[in-house]
Amino acid sequence: MGRATSSSSSSIESSNHFAFSTTGASSSSQRDLSTDLRLGLSISTFPYAREQPSDWPPIKPQLSQALAAEEENECNSATFFVKVYMDGIPIGRKLDLLAHESYYELIRTLEYMFNTNIIWAEAEVDGDHYEKYHVLTYEDKEGDWMMVGDVPWEMFLSAVRRLKITKC
Amino acid sequence: MQKKMAYSFPDEVLEHVFSFIKSHKDRNAVSLVCKSWYEIESWCRRKIFVGNCYAVSPRMVIKRFPEVRSVEVKGKPHFADFNLVPDGWGGNILPWIKEMAGAYPWLEEIRLKRMVVTDESLELIAKSFKNFKVLVLSSCEGFSTDGLAAIAASCKNLKELDLRESEVDDLSGHWLIHFPETYTSLVSLNISCLGSDEVSFSALERLVGRCPNLRTLRLNRAVPLDKIASILHRAPQLVEFGTGAYAAELRPDVFSNLAGAFSNCKELRSLSGFWDVVPAYLPAIYSVCSRLTTLNLSYATIQSRDLIKLVSHCPSLQRLLVLDYIEDSGLEALASSCKDLQELRVFPSDPFGVEPNVSLTEQGLVAVSLGCPKLQSVLYFCRRMSNVALVTIAQNRPNLTHFRLCIIEPKTADYLTLESLDVGFGAIVEHCKDLRRLSLSGLLTDRVFEYIGTYAKKLEMLSVAFAGDSDLGLHHVLSGCESLRKLEIRDCPFGDKALLANAGKLETMRSLWMSSCSVSFGACKLLGQKMPRLNVEVIDERAPPDSRPERCPVEKLYIYRSVAGPRFDMPPFVWMKDEDSALGLS
Repeated sequence: MGRATSSSSSSIESSNHFAFSTTGASSSSQRDLSTDLRLGLSISTFPYAREQPSDWPPIKPQLSQALAAEEENECNSATFFVKVYMDGIPIGRKLDLLAHESYYELIRTLEYMFNTNIIWAEAEVDGDHYEKYHVLTYEDKEGDWMMVGDVPWEMFLSAVRRLKITKC
Repeated sequence: MQKKMAYSFPDEVLEHVFSFIKSHKDRNAVSLVCKSWYEIESWCRRKIFVGNCYAVSPRMVIKRFPEVRSVEVKGKPHFADFNLVPDGWGGNILPWIKEMAGAYPWLEEIRLKRMVVTDESLELIAKSFKNFKVLVLSSCEGFSTDGLAAIAASCKNLKELDLRESEVDDLSGHWLIHFPETYTSLVSLNISCLGSDEVSFSALERLVGRCPNLRTLRLNRAVPLDKIASILHRAPQLVEFGTGAYAAELRPDVFSNLAGAFSNCKELRSLSGFWDVVPAYLPAIYSVCSRLTTLNLSYATIQSRDLIKLVSHCPSLQRLLVLDYIEDSGLEALASSCKDLQELRVFPSDPFGVEPNVSLTEQGLVAVSLGCPKLQSVLYFCRRMSNVALVTIAQNRPNLTHFRLCIIEPKTADYLTLESLDVGFGAIVEHCKDLRRLSLSGLLTDRVFEYIGTYAKKLEMLSVAFAGDSDLGLHHVLSGCESLRKLEIRDCPFGDKALLANAGKLETMRSLWMSSCSVSFGACKLLGQKMPRLNVEVIDERAPPDSRPERCPVEKLYIYRSVAGPRFDMPPFVWMKDEDSALGLS
């Protein structure tokens, strides 16, 4: 970065009774250490050493404390495992619903897990081949078995107790 | 022969007219019209604002304004928020409380910012003002829950207790119990800064339940998520609510209780808190999102996709505070969902990391500047910037009034051209003609200050760090910025010349802060001697500044205008000219 070596800026009135001289600032991001040494100042190690100066960047202590506490709690992800049974298979599986963001992801996981095609509220079904499909249902808080997919995903998460995949 | 003025209105009429004039600026203007207006205005002013507690003495204030009901006082300079002002510097409110206790027995409101408030002060407030209604302590420190207990116990007419961002010595959560059972007038309670110690939850519930006018309630982190529903059921009229830690094991009954409680709160417009967020619980607030105007997610360490989902439910949003986890993609979603957005603050989730941990760049800010036509106020932390982006932002949003950009690594150049960011910030000040507040960062030469001095005529507050080449930079600002009130500078190569050449300017400003610059002790002494109505404080924790040669730069410098003269409570590391030397020169 080039610097003018005299006060050549035209915006300063010429009647100034003092001349601006540059302080010899270097074009890199280094502090002018020679000046510091001459003046007997203690040399700040910032930005060389990565010890945290507590005054930069300018964030308030409440935020830096909250972030520091958060780093300790990094493994704070919640899980929600439910049992899944398929008709004809006595041994069930368990599935973390919170690892999925939507019905589509859930269906995909289940189809892979149980190696079948699954019907739910928004599935498109080939009318001639019903026997190849299974229906996905869930037991809700009231103990009723409902087809999966009618209510919003979040509402489903709050209501579901377990899943069942039944033959058509 | 004196010509007598025919007064068109008797004093009582003037007083009545003045009672409609609320703003401090307007009242100050009224008081300058003529002597009788000055006098009438003085004894009917009910609210005073003291921007710097050392600019005037409490006695002077009381002498001029005998009938005050509401006082607002500010203490430490802004950079105190970032640990730049040493502990013990000053700003204690006690002298003010002592004087006001005698002079203003009917005082109703005290609002303090960056002041030291001890329990003794709080106890004196509780004892002295029989009709005390409002206590706001913003970024204050020095008091404990014992002082709060005194306020709770004595202030029968208290409406507002707001401790925003103060540091409180949390001795006991039981201070809340000191609100008597007969006390029902609470309108606003903000205890979000209180520590992790338990707040007496049953006392809180009972308090909330018996105060039908409660509009604002901001809880502290320690209040667990599963208690929120019971609080909200007792206060469905809330307009502003701050949660505690927003985390719990996912249980459908807890979720549905919470969702139900929120959906009951038809007046809710502002949400905050959200420490330790478990994303699965966020949908519980969806029912109120469409009406939300303010959302403070500064502590919510959740990922972009959860933030996007949340924000897209909030079309009425005017103010958003969020961590940079929102990323550019989240800001693009914000720009398309929230057309009423006026203020955006994006904070860094990893402020000390060298490498970026999230995909948040200048693009996010550009997107918001394009999509949100009402955007006026920006505070943005990021790791890279370009002149092209700044120019685009300036052209998109000439209505900006507050623009604070912090590029985390000091002296970072334009990442596209490797040039300085002078042109970009120049565009900001040129296009945004109503800009009142500006914070600079990145690689900047004296040129940016030339632009600022030329264009930023309405600028009132400027913050500068690691910028500039020479005194020319400082000179441009001091000579060009006509509306400048507060200037704070750190780590810039500004020295004596610009300061001494613009000494008169300093009396038109509230204050100037300079730390880690090149102002010599000799210049400070000279300035103090020449300008009797400026307090020139040299702050140096290493050693007394007069133990070194006069040409040595001072560590920190705080200059402010004052009609009160030198203060009497300076700690040993603050030096100011003494009275004798000032008298000796005149």
